Amino acid sequence: MSYKKKSTRTARSGRKREKWTDILPRYLTFISHMRPILRETRRKIIELDADLLLDIEVLDKIRQEEEKRNIRKVRALSEFYTMYRSNVYDIIKDFIIKYREIIPIIDIKDYIIEFLYESIGALNVLRHITNPDESSLEKTFLYVLTKFIEERLFSRGRNMIIIYNKLLEYSSDFYECQRHLLQPHTYYREKLERSDYFEIPGMSPKVYRLINNITSLYNLDPNFGEFPERENQEIPMILKTEVFNPYIDSIANAEEEAINQIAERIGLRVIDEIFLAPKEDLVDIMLENNFLRENKQSDGKIRLLPQLSNETLILYYLALASQRRGFLSKEFINWITMNFAFLIYMGILKWKLSDQNIFYPIFKDLQTNEKVLPYLMKLVCFPNYLSLDKLKIRDSPQYRKEIFSFIGSQIDNLKEFINEIADYCEKFDKERKNN
Amino acid sequence: MAEIQDPTWKELLQQFKKGLEKAIDELEKRDAENIPGAKEALVQRLNNMKLHFPKNNGDIFIKSINDKIQNSFFPNTKNFSEAFDKILKSRTHEQDFIINELLNGFVTSKAKAIASGTQGPIINRMVEAFSKRNDFHIIDHQFYAMFGDPNKPRHYIKNQLEELVKMFGLVSKELVVKKDVRKSEEKVYTFYTFPDDIIEILEEKYLIINEELGYAYVSDAFDRNVFICMFLANVSINRDDLEKIGGSYTINGISAIFALILLLSFMPKLSVDETNPILNDPNFDADNMSVIPKSWMMRQVLEPLFEPLIKIIAYRLGGGLWLTKIIDSEINKKIINQIRFLLKDVNKWILGELVRVEIPIFVEIANIFTEIVVGYDES
Repeated sequence: MSYKKKSTRTARSGRKREKWTDILPRYLTFISHMRPILRETRRKIIELDADLLLDIEVLDKIRQEEEKRNIRKVRALSEFYTMYRSNVYDIIKDFIIKYREIIPIIDIKDYIIEFLYESIGALNVLRHITNPDESSLEKTFLYVLTKFIEERLFSRGRNMIIIYNKLLEYSSDFYECQRHLLQPHTYYREKLERSDYFEIPGMSPKVYRLINNITSLYNLDPNFGEFPERENQEIPMILKTEVFNPYIDSIANAEEEAINQIAERIGLRVIDEIFLAPKEDLVDIMLENNFLRENKQSDGKIRLLPQLSNETLILYYLALASQRRGFLSKEFINWITMNFAFLIYMGILKWKLSDQNIFYPIFKDLQTNEKVLPYLMKLVCFPNYLSLDKLKIRDSPQYRKEIFSFIGSQIDNLKEFINEIADYCEKFDKERKNN
Repeated sequence: MAEIQDPTWKELLQQFKKGLEKAIDELEKRDAENIPGAKEALVQRLNNMKLHFPKNNGDIFIKSINDKIQNSFFPNTKNFSEAFDKILKSRTHEQDFIINELLNGFVTSKAKAIASGTQGPIINRMVEAFSKRNDFHIIDHQFYAMFGDPNKPRHYIKNQLEELVKMFGLVSKELVVKKDVRKSEEKVYTFYTFPDDIIEILEEKYLIINEELGYAYVSDAFDRNVFICMFLANVSINRDDLEKIGGSYTINGISAIFALILLLSFMPKLSVDETNPILNDPNFDADNMSVIPKSWMMRQVLEPLFEPLIKIIAYRLGGGLWLTKIIDSEINKKIINQIRFLLKDVNKWILGELVRVEIPIFVEIANIFTEIVVGYDES
C-alpha cells in the first residue's frame, strides 16, 4: 500500500506569498540590482580619463569586462542585469556621440556622472521606500506618499459626506485625475450587473456618458415628486426612459438592465419604476454643497431645485468606491493600485531626476516598470495604506502588459499631479532631515 | 458665385430659418433658465441669426464651416499630410477634448464602431509600441510579443494590427531573414511606420530625430491624440469614399458634433449677478469661461435647430453625397439627443448653469458672427 502524504494547505497555488515580509523583498529584488550597476558605472566613468571617453570602443570594452563578472544564477535576474547594463552603456555612448562636437568632453563626463548620481539617488529612495518591519510608518515615503495621493483622489472619512467633501475640495485642481481613477482601461472585462450587489466596478465610458446625460437632464427640465423620507419636501426626478432615449441599436441595453445598480453607485434610486431620484444621503451632500437649492412653494412645500455640476455625481461614485473599498471589483482594484504605484514611482523620479537626465527612459521603460510596479501595487494594498484586497491583484505578465500600456495615455492633469508629488517629496525629505 | 444658383444650399438655408422660427416659438412657451434675462438673450440671438444667416448666400456658415471647422478638424484636401498637419496644429489641451469626442462620437452613434470595445486601449498600445523603439518603427513580431495573449490564437492580434495599420494609414516594409536564430528558417519581419511626410511634420515637437545616430525618439508630447489626428485626417481625405470612412453613421456623427460646435459658438454670453454662487465656484474661471443660456438644450428647441444645421454641415463637408446620407428619421432625433450632452469638458455644467470654455474654435466662429452683425449695424 502506498502512502501519500496529504497536504494540510488549503490556499490556492500562487497565493502563498502574500505577507508583507514576502512582498517587500520581491519589490526590492530588481531595485537592489539596478543600483550597483549604476554605482559601478559611475565609478568607472570617474576613474576614466575624460579623453578616453571620446573613443567609444573603450566603453564597449568596459561593458564587456563588466559582463564577464556576471555571476547571477537566476536566469530572470541575469537577463535583467545584462539588459539593464547594456541600456545604461548605450545611453552613455549615444550621449557622447551626440554632444562631443558641441560640448567639451570634460563637461560631458561631468554630466554623465551627475546623471548617474541622480539616478542612484532615485534608486536609493525607492530602495528605502519603507521599513521591513513597518516601524515609524509616518516617516516612510511609501506611507506618506500613499496618504498624500489618497487624500486627493481616494479620500477616507467616517461617512459619505466627509469623504465627498474632501474629494470636492481637491476637485478644482485634480478633477481629471479623480475621474481617471474611476475609469479602468480594462472596463470591457467588467460586468455591469453583478450577483453581488455590493461589488463596485469601475466606470465604463458608456456609464460615464449616462451620468453626464443624467446631470444634464436634472439641470434642464426635472420633474418633482415627494421626498419619501421627509415630509413637505419635493425632490427632483427625471424619467428613466429619457436617459436611455438617445441610444440606438440597443447599444445601452446592458446599462438599462443594470440601471438600479448604476443608480445606486451615483446616489440615485428608482422610484415607481420610472423615475430616477436622489437618495437621502445624496440630497444632504447636494444641499451642503449648493448642488440643490431650497425653494418654498406657494403651497408651503419646499422644492429642492437641482443645480448640478459636472463632477456632482461622478464624485459620489468615487466617494462610494472609497467608502466601500473592501467591495471593489478585481479590475477596479488593479486600476486604482496601479495608478497609486505609478504616481508614487513617477513622483519620486520627478523629484530626484532632472528633466534632462539621460537615464529617464530606462526608468520609464515597460521592462523596468513591470519589475517594480506590480509589487508596489501590492504593498499599497496593505491595511496601513489603502486597505484593498491584494489577492485581487493579478500576477499574469500578460495582464501587466495590458494595464501598463495606459502609461502611453497619460493625461495632462496626471502630469501636474506628479509635479505636485515631487514637490511634496522634497518638502517631506527636508522635514524628516530636520527632525 | 456658383453657390448663388445652388438650389439645395438655398433650400437648406430656408430650412434653417424655419427651424429658428420654430425654436423661438418653443422657447416662448417654456423657461428653463435660472438667470434673469437669459431666455430673452437667447431669443434675441436666435432672431439675430434669423436675420443675418441667410444673407450673402449664407456667408456666416460658409466662413465658419469652411475656414474654421474644416481647417481645425476636417481639412478639405486630398493630401493626407496636409490634412494631418492642420489637425495637429489645432491641438490645445481643451481642443483635444473635441478631437477625442470626434472619435468617441462614432462609438455612440454606431453599435460596432471603429474604436469601440477593446480598440480604444489598443491606440494606447500603439503609442507604447512606438515609444519603446528608437527608430520610430513597430515590428509585427514585437507587437505580438507585447500585446498578444498566449491563451488566444495569434490571428486575433494579427487582425488587430492590420486594422490599426489601415485605420491610421501606416506604411510597411518587409525584411526577409534567410535563417532565423531559433529555427534556422526563413522569416519575414514587417516593419510599420508613418509615411515620410508625416514624419517630417512630427519632427521637433513629437519626434526627435538624430541623424548622426540614426535614432528617432518620441517625445513626451507624443500621445494617443496624434493617432486620433491621423485617423481624422484619413477620414477627411477619403470623405468621398463612404466605404472607407465607415458609412452613414460616421457622416452623421461628424456632422452632428460639428453642428454642436457651431451652435455653441453662436450662443450669447450672459452676465451673471455678482452674488451668483457660480462666481465663487473654484471650477469656474471667469477669464476663459462664459455662462451661456441652457434652454437651447431642451429637446423641443434643439430638434428644429439641429436637424437643418446637421444637414448644412454635411452639405458643406461632403456635398450632395453626404447630404443624402443624413438619416432623416427617429434615429436622427436620437443622435441629436445624445450629441447635445457631448463635449462635456468644454460645454460643462457648473452649479446648474451651462458654461462654455472659450477655446479657440468657439472664439473664432463667434468673431465671424460678431463682425458681420457689427458691420450690418454700422451700415
